[in-house]
Amino acid sequence: MTFLVVGILLLFALFGLPLFVVLGSGGIFASIGASLEPEILIIELYRLATQPNLIAIPLFTLAGMIMAAGGSPQRLVRLFDAMFGWMAGGLAVVTIISCAFFTAFSGASGVTIIALGGLLYPMLKQARYQERFSLGLLTSAGSLGLLFPPSIAILLYGIVSGVNIHDLFLAGIVPGLLLLLMLSVYSLRVAKKSQVPTHRFSFSEMLRVVRGSLWDIMLPLVIIIGIFGGYVTVTEAAALTAAYALFMETVVYKTLNLWRDIPRVLSDSAALVGSILIILGVAMGLTNLLIDSQLPMRLLALMEQHISSPLQFLLLLNLFLLVVGAMMDIFSAIVVVVPLILPLAARYQVDPVHLGIIFLANLEIGYLTPPVGINLFIASQRFAKPILTLFKAALPFLLLMLIWLLLLTYIPALTLWWQ
Amino acid sequence: MLTRLRRALVLLETVVASGSLLLLLLLVLTQVIARDVFETGFPLLDVISRHLVLFVIFFGAGLVTERGQHIRIDVLASLLSPQQRKILLRPLMGLSALLCAALTWYAGLFWLGEWQYAQSNERWAAVMAAVIPVGFAVLALHFLLVSLLGFETVSDPDSETAKAQAKAKST
Repeated sequence: MTFLVVGILLLFALFGLPLFVVLGSGGIFASIGASLEPEILIIELYRLATQPNLIAIPLFTLAGMIMAAGGSPQRLVRLFDAMFGWMAGGLAVVTIISCAFFTAFSGASGVTIIALGGLLYPMLKQARYQERFSLGLLTSAGSLGLLFPPSIAILLYGIVSGVNIHDLFLAGIVPGLLLLLMLSVYSLRVAKKSQVPTHRFSFSEMLRVVRGSLWDIMLPLVIIIGIFGGYVTVTEAAALTAAYALFMETVVYKTLNLWRDIPRVLSDSAALVGSILIILGVAMGLTNLLIDSQLPMRLLALMEQHISSPLQFLLLLNLFLLVVGAMMDIFSAIVVVVPLILPLAARYQVDPVHLGIIFLANLEIGYLTPPVGINLFIASQRFAKPILTLFKAALPFLLLMLIWLLLLTYIPALTLWWQ
Repeated sequence: MLTRLRRALVLLETVVASGSLLLLLLLVLTQVIARDVFETGFPLLDVISRHLVLFVIFFGAGLVTERGQHIRIDVLASLLSPQQRKILLRPLMGLSALLCAALTWYAGLFWLGEWQYAQSNERWAAVMAAVIPVGFAVLALHFLLVSLLGFETVSDPDSETAKAQAKAKST
C-alpha cells in the first residue's frame, strides 16, 4: 500500500503537481501509515516560527529584488567593465564577476540570467566573442555566487542542517573565489585565441564609474564586516541590507519610486519566499517521519557493506548529488535530501561544514545539467535558443566546474582553512 | 462571480504578503536600533517577527499559485506537448486543492489544541498561529479557482492576455 501511494504521488510529481503538495500529502500518508496523528506535520511546520535565522531569508530576498529592480546589476557591469574590460578577455571576466556578485544577493533564482543576460549578451557579441562561448558563459555564470554571503541557499542549508551559518559563509568564500579564478583563466585563454579586441584603460572613466556605483560596492562590505566582525547577527544583517538597498534605490539613485515600484517588489519578493519556504514547512514533518522510521540508518547499514572510507563515501555522494541537482531545484533538494544524508556523513566523519559546501557545489553544477537544470531553461527563454544548444555551449564550463568540485571534495582545507 | 472571487483573493494575498514582509523589516530594524542605540530589546517583537515569516510564506505561496510558478519536478510533463500539458493542468490543480484542504483540516485540529492549551497571556501567539490553517485554506481555495478557471493570465503563453502583455512589454 505504501509503495502504491508513493508511486502515485511520484507520478503526479513528475507530471507537475507542486512539490510542496507532494511532500505535504506524502507526510499525511506516512504519518497515518505509522499510526500517528497527521497533526504532527503541522507541529513541525510551526517549529519554523522558532527558527530565528529563518527571518534572514525573506529580508535578503527583498534586498536582492530591490537591487534587481533598481538597476544595480547594470551599474555593477559598468563598474567591472571599467576595471577589467581593458584586458584581452576582460569582458568575460566582467561577466563572471558581475554574475557572481549579483547571484549572491538574488539567490540564484534565475534573476541573474534575466537581469544581466540581456545586457551582457549583446555586449559579448559586439566585442566579437564567439556566440557559443558567450551563451555558455552566461548560462553557467547564472549560479556562480551561490557560495558567497549572503547566499539564500547557504542560509537554508544552515537552517535545515543546524550548522552554524556564520561558519558556512566563511567556508564558502575560498571555494567561490577558486571557481571564479578557474573560469576567468579559461575565458582569458579563449579570448586570446579568438583575438578579441580590447579597449584602453581609462583611469578617469574608472573613477567616474566607481563614484557612480559607490553605494553598490559598499553593500557587501557592510554585510561582511557586520557579520564576520560580530557587530550584527545574520538576521540583523539581512534587515540592514534590505534597508540599505531600499535607501540606495529610492533616495540615492532614485531608480525606484517608493509608492509606485516598491509594492510590486514587495509582492514579488513575498512570492519568491513563499515558493521556497512553503516546501521547507511541509517537508520538515515528512523528513522527521523518515528519520524516525530509521531510513538513514537503513541506508547507512546498506552503505557500510560496500563503502569503507570517507573518500569512497564522498565520491558516491557527489554522483548522487549531481543526479539530485539535475532532477530537483536547489531549495527543494536542500530541504528533502540534507536531513537524510547528515547522519551518513557523520558516520564517515565528514565535517558538516565541508559537507554543506560540497552539497551546494554539486547543486550549483546541477543548474547546468539536463533534464531540469533551471539555468538551461531560463537561458533558453532569455536568448531564444534550444536547450541542447545551450547545454553544448555550457559543456566546457561544466567540465571545469566538475574539476572544481573534485578539488573541493578531496581538499577539505579549501573549505575549512579557517578552523 | 468566480473571477471576482479570484481577484479578491489575489488582492488579499498581495496585501497580506507584502504588508507582512514590510512589517517584518520594520520590526527587525526596530530591534537593531533598540539593541545598539538604547541597549534594550523587545522579546515580544521577536515572536511577532517569526510569525510574520509564516504570513509571508503562506500568502506569498498563494501569489505563486496565481502565477503558476510553484516549484515542481515535472520531468515527464516537459516531454508532453503544450496542448497535453494544458489538459493535464486543471486536474492537477484540483488535486492540489483537495490535498491542501486535507492539510487545512489537520492544521485546524493542531490550532484548536494550541488555542485550548495556551495560557491566557499566550493567547495572542495562538491567534497568530491561526495563519497555518488559514494559509492552507487560502491555498486550497486558490488551487480550486485555478482548476475551475485555468491559468489564463500567467502560465499560458498562448492566451490572449499573455499575448497582449508580451506585446505591451515589447512596445
